[in-house]
Amino acid sequence: MIPLELYILLAASMFTIGLYGTFTQRNGIKLMMCIELLLNSANINLVAFSAYQPNVNGQVFALFSIALAAAEAGVGFAILIALYRLYGTIDLDKINTMRW
Amino acid sequence: MTTYSDYAYLIVGLPVLAFVLTIFLGWHLPKGGGFFTVLATFAGFIISAGIFTEIFPGEVLHQSMHWFATLNVGILIDPLALAMLLMVTFVCTLIHTYALGYMDGDPGMARYFAEAGLFTAAMLGLVFSDNILQLFIFWELVGLCSYLLIGFWYRKPSAASAAKKAFLTTRVGDVMFLAAIVILYNSMASLNLNLAPGEYLLQFPVIYKSLALIDPGQLTIIALLFLGGAVGKSGQFPLDVWLPDAMEGPTTVSAMIHAATMVTAGVYLVARMFPLFYAAPYGLLAVVYVGGFTAFYAATMGLTAFDIKRVLAFSTVSQLGYMMMAIGTGAVVGAFAVGVGMFHLIAHSFFKALLFLCAGSVIHGVGTNDMREMGGVGKYMKWTMLTMLAGGLALAGFPLTTGFFSKDEILVVAYEYGSISHQWLPYIFGIVAALMTAFYTFRMWFVAFDGEPRSDYHKHESPWVMLVPLMILAVFALAFGAFSQSGFYDAVGNNFEHYGVDFEELAVVGGHAVAHGEGHGGEAEHGGEEAVEEPFIIKILPIVVGVGGILLALLFYSRWKKLDVRKYVGERDPIRGLLLKRYYQHEILTAWFAETVVYGLSLISNMIDIKIVDGVLNKISEVTLAFAGNLRKVQTGIIENYITALVFGVVVLVILIKIGMEVGL
Repeated sequence: MIPLELYILLAASMFTIGLYGTFTQRNGIKLMMCIELLLNSANINLVAFSAYQPNVNGQVFALFSIALAAAEAGVGFAILIALYRLYGTIDLDKINTMRW
Repeated sequence: MTTYSDYAYLIVGLPVLAFVLTIFLGWHLPKGGGFFTVLATFAGFIISAGIFTEIFPGEVLHQSMHWFATLNVGILIDPLALAMLLMVTFVCTLIHTYALGYMDGDPGMARYFAEAGLFTAAMLGLVFSDNILQLFIFWELVGLCSYLLIGFWYRKPSAASAAKKAFLTTRVGDVMFLAAIVILYNSMASLNLNLAPGEYLLQFPVIYKSLALIDPGQLTIIALLFLGGAVGKSGQFPLDVWLPDAMEGPTTVSAMIHAATMVTAGVYLVARMFPLFYAAPYGLLAVVYVGGFTAFYAATMGLTAFDIKRVLAFSTVSQLGYMMMAIGTGAVVGAFAVGVGMFHLIAHSFFKALLFLCAGSVIHGVGTNDMREMGGVGKYMKWTMLTMLAGGLALAGFPLTTGFFSKDEILVVAYEYGSISHQWLPYIFGIVAALMTAFYTFRMWFVAFDGEPRSDYHKHESPWVMLVPLMILAVFALAFGAFSQSGFYDAVGNNFEHYGVDFEELAVVGGHAVAHGEGHGGEAEHGGEEAVEEPFIIKILPIVVGVGGILLALLFYSRWKKLDVRKYVGERDPIRGLLLKRYYQHEILTAWFAETVVYGLSLISNMIDIKIVDGVLNKISEVTLAFAGNLRKVQTGIIENYITALVFGVVVLVILIKIGMEVGL
């Protein structure tokens, strides 16, 4: 059996990559993808801990989380399409009408 | 079975309804909808008369309901209020009827009748209030309506300024009145009275009951403040300046203000609070001196006035002084004095309404207020002349007219007051003022109606709608007193017995050495066993001065004149100048006090307002703005910054939680 530490390591590296992406990416779609990475690293953690403990709660929770992530992605991309129609770009640094 | 008493609230309700109807619909109705006001007031008279037959004598109509906290609204109709209700509704009905003719053609007729209806309603509400707070509310409403009506022709600068003057001068009194209510409420609340259900603080019966328990020093303060309110409303010295200027309104307004609805409120207040004044040391002393002095002082100014309405205005101030003086003598003659004062009030309202309406008729016909431009008006306006003669005789106190009975009785009680308390000044003021009253009244009458026309005026009699009210009032001015006097004294003089006011107990509180308590029936027996025997000369003196004043005016001003005024009083006579200038009241109160002292003070408070009050507020908003201006820079619009802040926040949170767990919180 694969040791638990490896799962956690995988999740931690996915989380770091996602975090790095959210810090650096200006393209809206890339940003969304990074956020998905963050979410899914958490899911890996849930599933891994659940597998090592005779309890399916974590896996059920991960399923809920995936459904939620799908909804979130749907709303997020809808917003991006609306932004594109309005500004002709999805470069988030250009969309700054609400700044001071 | 429903009775008139069940509809007591309609006495005020109907004029208010008339106000609403005329103000909204009056523009579309003939005569500005004035008949609403006339009918509503007349209906009030019918209801009052019905209540009179139901409760008189010996009963009091009292309805009240809870308002808030320890206060209530209610209706209290006792003989005192009943006399006022009947008088106000009756006189106002006639005045409103007259106004249908007098105001005809004025573009503001609907407004006039709306305001007049509200004015009447406010006065009636004031009269039948069962607690002092409700009375104060209506009192203010009366003040507001007087302001609106005096400034009725608001495009005329003098009318607008007279209205302001009336409003501000009475306001001085109103502030004192309010202060009196507050102090009274406090001292009553601190007594921890056991109030029966249906009894409330500030209700008149409750006030009367608790008087003996309140500290006399406090009572004196309350009484003097109440007197201050009455002085403002009733135009007593030194707050009398507004009343002669109030002539700027239509004459019917003057008639209402002077006879029925405004100035009598002050006297009514003193009469209503008589037990309080009685219980307060110096309360009645102040009343008697203020009244006596005003009676004298206003009469002197009446001697020289040229404006026919102004002569009448001074006479009103003077007669109100008589009423105050009469009530003030209550220190010696007891509650009987209230009957005497109120009887003069009722009598006065008949003949003063009559005189004003006659003056209005003359002005309507002739087109000027100035008596110097009249002369010989009697030839063209017979009915006006005759009715004004009736009013003049009553005002002058000619024997057997209403004014004679009421004024004579005031002089009798003033004499009694003088002989027992050895304060003769009020009596002397009264007698001298009576002489001057007769003189200036007939000076006015002769100058206006007798002699030859002195200018080219319109010569026509007024329409019947104006003359009929004059005739009705003339009958009352001449005959009312003879029939009602002793019954009136009985009813109103014993008004406070309905509430079980123990005047002997209150006399101890008030420190009156000589007090007779109740038991004043007719004229003959008042004074009880300590009755003062009047010398013959004192008995006939009122008649002598009344008739003497008329004869004097006849010698000076009529067609049979034997004496020339100019020989005795030169153009430059200092006293004449002083009187014409109204004792420089305008210069002192308006020019100096209002425009220098008050204006200076308001400049200072304006400065404080701008520099300190506004300054603090402005500083606070400046600081907030500057802070916000810097804070908004946080919103950079760069999404990485937001995410950085978010992650940073989460990290800090995690660290804090970790620390918390380590410490073991």
